Amino acid sequence: MNDLLELPWTKARDEASPEEYVRACLQAVEHLNPELNAFLSIDREAGKSSLPVAVKDNIVTTRLATTCGSRMLESFVSPVDATAVQRLRTAGAFVIGKTNMDEFAMGSSNEHSAFGPARNPWDPTRVPGGSSGGSAVAVAARMVPVALGSETGGSVRQPAALCGVVGLKPTYGRVSRSGLVAFASSLDQIGVVTKTVREAAEMLEIIAGHDPLDSTSSMEPAAEFTRDIGAGVRGIRFGVVQEAVEQLEGEVAENFASAITLLRSGGAIVEDAHIPSLRHAIATYYIVANAEASANLARFDGIRFGRRSGEGGSLEEVYRASRAEGLGEEVKRRIMLGTFALSSGYYDAYYGRAQKARARLRSEIVSELQRFDHLLTPTTPEPAFRIGEKVEDPIAMYLSDIFTAPANLAGIPAIAIPSGFSREALPLSLQIMGRHFAEAALFRVAAWFEAETDWWKRMPPINAVTVTR
Amino acid sequence: MKIDRDEARRVAALAQLQFDDEALDRMALEMTAILSYVDQLQELELPDGEEADSLPTPLRADTPHLPLDQPDVERNAPAWRDGFFVVPRVIAGE
Repeated sequence: MNDLLELPWTKARDEASPEEYVRACLQAVEHLNPELNAFLSIDREAGKSSLPVAVKDNIVTTRLATTCGSRMLESFVSPVDATAVQRLRTAGAFVIGKTNMDEFAMGSSNEHSAFGPARNPWDPTRVPGGSSGGSAVAVAARMVPVALGSETGGSVRQPAALCGVVGLKPTYGRVSRSGLVAFASSLDQIGVVTKTVREAAEMLEIIAGHDPLDSTSSMEPAAEFTRDIGAGVRGIRFGVVQEAVEQLEGEVAENFASAITLLRSGGAIVEDAHIPSLRHAIATYYIVANAEASANLARFDGIRFGRRSGEGGSLEEVYRASRAEGLGEEVKRRIMLGTFALSSGYYDAYYGRAQKARARLRSEIVSELQRFDHLLTPTTPEPAFRIGEKVEDPIAMYLSDIFTAPANLAGIPAIAIPSGFSREALPLSLQIMGRHFAEAALFRVAAWFEAETDWWKRMPPINAVTVTR
Repeated sequence: MKIDRDEARRVAALAQLQFDDEALDRMALEMTAILSYVDQLQELELPDGEEADSLPTPLRADTPHLPLDQPDVERNAPAWRDGFFVVPRVIAGE
């Protein structure tokens, strides 16, 4: 019965009762979670409806704790559901469990989780990427059909790429952020991890749309996102971002080149595009994101919720001791950097300049998206790296997001789709970016690429179908 | 940009974080390394004045609605008594 988990959920739904499907997922989670550490909590009684969804542990839910991968919120249970979760429930889905993540979504490997890293099902000595690593692992290993993640600089697309699944970052404002624990409010967006492009489109149809609880959520009507799937790529104009191409090496370069050849064979027009500011994207991102984080994370002070230290006499000492005990090293480092960048005497030189650099990057991208329908890069500069490899070198870790962070800084939608495998049998991924609110066009071209390649059908060596068969 | 122990201490105080001297030195080194990477932004020629890259955020209508119920708030409170969060004394007594 666990062969069901191999199929897209829409198809599995035709072949089994909802009860059978949910039971298969729960069994898969029980079997694989001890090894992969994808879930931080599991709801065994949640539901019998046909669509179990794994939800990243920074999206609040009333039935399970929302830890954000942090000791600070270890026992926090939200009194409300996030709007995206509410919409899933209304559509008949339920939350089967909450997924592992880098603490407060700060990381690209899942190693910054206070509860130990999730592991890559293609090779458990390697990272699954981050910060939505648990969500990517859960879908890649066929424990669940679909998952919610969140993005600030690539936190859905990068782990999706490293785990060989589809990752979507919608346009900024497309999905309500109400109930997404804030990291950098001008960049954050809830995204989805799925096996197929069509499933990503269907998930977005459920969660998208204006929400009075998030004034930055767009009034743009949520479209029928699957409508253009099947229309092909003939005549579609793709720009290949040269500032990304010049950084590519070895297998990633070869794989990217063959993706371009394939698109051309389908009748797409593929030409060079330029985003000169891409080379400054990570520097820009780390100032903007951390400045916002330093303000957003000020609320974790041990007073109204979360961990309170027993040390300290005065109110201020309680704040500091609680934060010292509750927050991990990477989170402290980023709060320190963000606080510095906003502090008197440094604001103009750091935050002010970064905002201007962001505006320039955005205008370069928007202008190239007038010449082209889509922009292309690999999703990541390299396949999954080993656990421990970059954890002592923050800059090397940050550069994992070099190709993904620009879409967040510009607010545009982007999708990561499997594009093949390295010689070590690790997934490689193509990133397609699109115009603001043009997700339907992204799904159209991504679905064509997927249908031509069928990479999604290949399962990792650690997977629920064979383990529980 | 070089961050020394005193500067790291100044920033830590602003951020309501605390470190012992050893951790402070380590943080200063890490911040220096990251900021020297970020300093590439100092070389960019960028326009003077304010960046014009944001739209105003629309405000919702100011209509009254019920807040969270007290028991929902209490459930996550580290210390709670008679409908209030308990904190250390803020104003010094006699």
